[in-house]
Amino acid sequence: MANSYETSEFRNGLKVELEGNPYTVTYFQFVKPGKGTAFTRTKLKNLITGAVIERTFRTGERLDAADVEEQEMEYLFNDGEFHHFMNKESFEQVAISSPSIEDEAKFLTENLGVYVLFYKSKPISITLPPFIESRVVYTEPAVKGNTSQGATKQATLACGASIQVPLFVDQDELLRVDTRTGEYVARVK
Amino acid sequence: MTLDPALLRARAAVLRALRGWLDHQGYLEVPTPVRVVCGALEEHLETVDAAGRPLRTSPELALKRAIAAGLGRVYEIGPCFRAEEEGVHHSLEFTMLEWYRVGAGTDELMDEVESLIGAAAEALGQRPPAFSRRRVDSLLPDDGPGAADAWFHRWVDAVEPQLTAPTIVWGYPPWQAALARVRDGRADRFEVYLGGIELANAFAEEGDPAELRARQDAANLRRCAAGRAPHPVDDAFYAALPAMPRCAGIALGVDRLVLALTGAPHIRAVQVR
Repeated sequence: MANSYETSEFRNGLKVELEGNPYTVTYFQFVKPGKGTAFTRTKLKNLITGAVIERTFRTGERLDAADVEEQEMEYLFNDGEFHHFMNKESFEQVAISSPSIEDEAKFLTENLGVYVLFYKSKPISITLPPFIESRVVYTEPAVKGNTSQGATKQATLACGASIQVPLFVDQDELLRVDTRTGEYVARVK
Repeated sequence: MTLDPALLRARAAVLRALRGWLDHQGYLEVPTPVRVVCGALEEHLETVDAAGRPLRTSPELALKRAIAAGLGRVYEIGPCFRAEEEGVHHSLEFTMLEWYRVGAGTDELMDEVESLIGAAAEALGQRPPAFSRRRVDSLLPDDGPGAADAWFHRWVDAVEPQLTAPTIVWGYPPWQAALARVRDGRADRFEVYLGGIELANAFAEEGDPAELRARQDAANLRRCAAGRAPHPVDDAFYAALPAMPRCAGIALGVDRLVLALTGAPHIRAVQVR
């Protein structure tokens, strides 16, 4: 990897290598103290552990690009220890240890298209589509005509997620869910 | 870029409050040129070139000549320019308020800037912020001038993010004096933080032309060593200095004040861009 980025090229989503770990830039800010030189203050999210660190770099400092690549893949199944995905064109299959994608896994349903992130050719994480559709497998019976704003109840979805839904939602209904916030969006007819 | 009328109205209200406060305190508004002989004296300020001359990074040199000419308390609100500065709190073109109080020191200016910011807050229907005052070396121990970069790195990395409450920091290491007097081994200088944003910088003004010229030469040598062009020498400024009475001066970023008071997300949001 000869590729590297200077502080002025920092952007949100940029993937960089720091102390042997891949990070994505989630925040960057140009700062210049009163009588001093310029710096770039950043927040960096570890692509493997998800931990966020704060680092300040001198203007002009360079960081190596992280050796990462993203592939569009389809979710296959979960064997209890690993989640398995397949590239639809090459039919290549990869497995990611389940705990490392715990937050995303609850929205996975068979054949769902996701982006798998590879670091040094090893799959380390996935990015879900922003919205998924999933059927309600359990919720308290719907309260007819209750459209009061804000009132919610719990619903368990076929994909495994448990989310808050409005009171009028009934069992077996298909829902649209925002995977970034884990929030109910709408019923799908 | 879409303009936000509410933020621009807030900016107008703040500007009106600033001028009202300055008029009430007996400050005289003195407009000075934007395109100047010397745009900055400090090592780390970069100027914008305008047809062979720099644009000012602050109105400091011209206002000091006005004070030396006997104008007394003076101020200016106007555009200033700093190249290579763009960010959430930085804008190449920005509005600076600078005021000078003759016969006073930094203690009086601390009271004044608190009162002025209070007036701006009240103009937006807010309560005046209550400032605490902290010595710089109580926040970060001094290193020698040779470690300037490391000192600033720690300041930006570890100290500044903690200055979220309204704070005045004072008593800088002597190698950060810029144009301030050095007294008892400390630069008689302070900075003002509001909402985590550095708003203002104040000096008890050094009046000795030989001392300031020596500082400019030293800064220019370091600039040349770093491959930067030296800042030109403003002869009229140095010639006027002996007539300048003892005074203290402060520069306040108006865009940043509006930003800090309104909680706007970016300095551009309070400017017409």
